[in-house]
Amino acid sequence: MHLGRLWLRDFRCYEQVELALESGVTVVTGSNGQGKTSLLEAVAWIATGRSMRGVPDRALVRAGTDEAIVRAEIEHPEHRVLVEAAIKSVGRNRILANKQTVTRRRDLSEHLRVTVFAPDDLALVKGGPGGRREYIDDLLVNAIPRFSAVTTDYERVIKQRNALLRAGIRDADDRRTRDVFDVRLTEVGAELVRGRLDLIARLAPEIGVAYASLAGSAPGFATAYEPEWHDGPLASDEVEVALTEALARLRKREEDRGVTLVGPHRDDWALVLEDLDARHHASQGEQRTLALGMRLAGHRVVADAIGVEPVLLLDDVFSELDSQRAMALVEHLPATQTLITTAGALPEGIRADAWLRIDAGRLV
Amino acid sequence: MTAVYAGPVQRLIDELGRLPGVGPKSAQRIAFYILKLAPEDARRLAGSIVEVKEKISWCRRCFNIAEGELCQFCQDERRDRTVLCVVEEPRDIVAVERTQEFRGSYHVLQGTISPIEGIGPDQLRIKELLTRVRDDGVTEVILATNPNTDGEVTAMYLARALSESGTKVTRIASGLPVGGDLEYADEVTLGRAFEGRRTLDP
Ligand SMILES: [Zn+2]
Repeated sequence: MHLGRLWLRDFRCYEQVELALESGVTVVTGSNGQGKTSLLEAVAWIATGRSMRGVPDRALVRAGTDEAIVRAEIEHPEHRVLVEAAIKSVGRNRILANKQTVTRRRDLSEHLRVTVFAPDDLALVKGGPGGRREYIDDLLVNAIPRFSAVTTDYERVIKQRNALLRAGIRDADDRRTRDVFDVRLTEVGAELVRGRLDLIARLAPEIGVAYASLAGSAPGFATAYEPEWHDGPLASDEVEVALTEALARLRKREEDRGVTLVGPHRDDWALVLEDLDARHHASQGEQRTLALGMRLAGHRVVADAIGVEPVLLLDDVFSELDSQRAMALVEHLPATQTLITTAGALPEGIRADAWLRIDAGRLV
Repeated sequence: MTAVYAGPVQRLIDELGRLPGVGPKSAQRIAFYILKLAPEDARRLAGSIVEVKEKISWCRRCFNIAEGELCQFCQDERRDRTVLCVVEEPRDIVAVERTQEFRGSYHVLQGTISPIEGIGPDQLRIKELLTRVRDDGVTEVILATNPNTDGEVTAMYLARALSESGTKVTRIASGLPVGGDLEYADEVTLGRAFEGRRTLDP
């Protein structure tokens, strides 16, 4: 699977642009602020229906216009798909795949899959647990579609249960209502935790391998799931019991705080390099390498699960890597298609199949 | 938003904006559509709103919509009053009726438990359900709330509330649409159906 042609109209700084892309490595150059990242953002939008930078759709529409148009021709081994999106500053977007309406955002991934590497990925290791939860849950949904319903259900349970706790547990009715939310939290929460545990078990060796090849040495990498509401290791078949016990144990504190303290929305997972917790004790360089290794490992696990190599989008990652690590990264890139943005020169030894130069939202 | 239109127009926009799913922009658009209507069309629209409020109310037994005291199903002597199908909204009755499978009676909760919207069991027709189960000799209660979080939680609450009555409580199955091919089922429904698979007795 690879992206063949891409058309943008009124997307970010692009008034109008048309690109023809090949498989292999394409390097997009240009000074900062000229629209390199926006190009990758448009590609990622076609695959996911949202901005990879986490901004609302209206931020993608060029100032002074009502809608941005992104069209992408995607080449599959046996067929070609034309995905067309009208991204509106107000109101509903309109998305077509080969002229058929696409109603659910997640259906876009049928046509195009991407893995994004961005410079702020460092936060994956160094930042709070929220980023690591998002990383693992995104991979889970990508590898096993059923989890898109599980994560949606779980978010709803937590929202409802928090509203109940915030209003206060005052009478028998409130207690009975909380009891049923507890049962639901346990069911859906356990499904999510089990999914994460399985996925982390598959990811950990891949992360170890990716880290070793990027760093040029092989430090021991280990990981452990850390539920905030449970001490010690947690096995897949113990999750339901552990959640039930924790809900009973923390009942009073939850009532006092008016918020749900038990469940996978509070969890983290430890990243250990040479027996040290990389979240707090690794150097910036090691953390950056580990974050890249995690992206690469996630990419590999999803590719294995779905049998298709996602298109890789590398946004300005070389500015932060020394040339040895940059080389190692490129050596491990899958063969299908990679789009790389860079403001400076490419590290030595990196072979590009095609170059695109962007200046002020124009192809030059 | 500050009022920018002449009194009656702004009042209409405000009223329309309180309808479910109607934002300020849509309210404005509908209001101007109504302004352009022929007088008899506008009068018919207004009349039907007034009429529905005057003539239609809640069935005093099952809380479906009704033109009199009782709805069409509660009036129908042929319907089994000892089997109750519990649904969230009157429109769900229409869906169950289309199956032509169910000859019992209905009970409409008029919502689901939803703390976000401040809706607890008290705001739903649950007490009335418990009374019916006790007084009408009900033998089975079928919980047909939606298979989403709010519907599941509400069904679970009802199952517990009904446990003391000794009445059989059942929950409708969720899963694959029957009659279609597996290849057309979406991956989430099919994935969940796999998770919920059962042993097939020979
Ligand atoms: Zn009735």
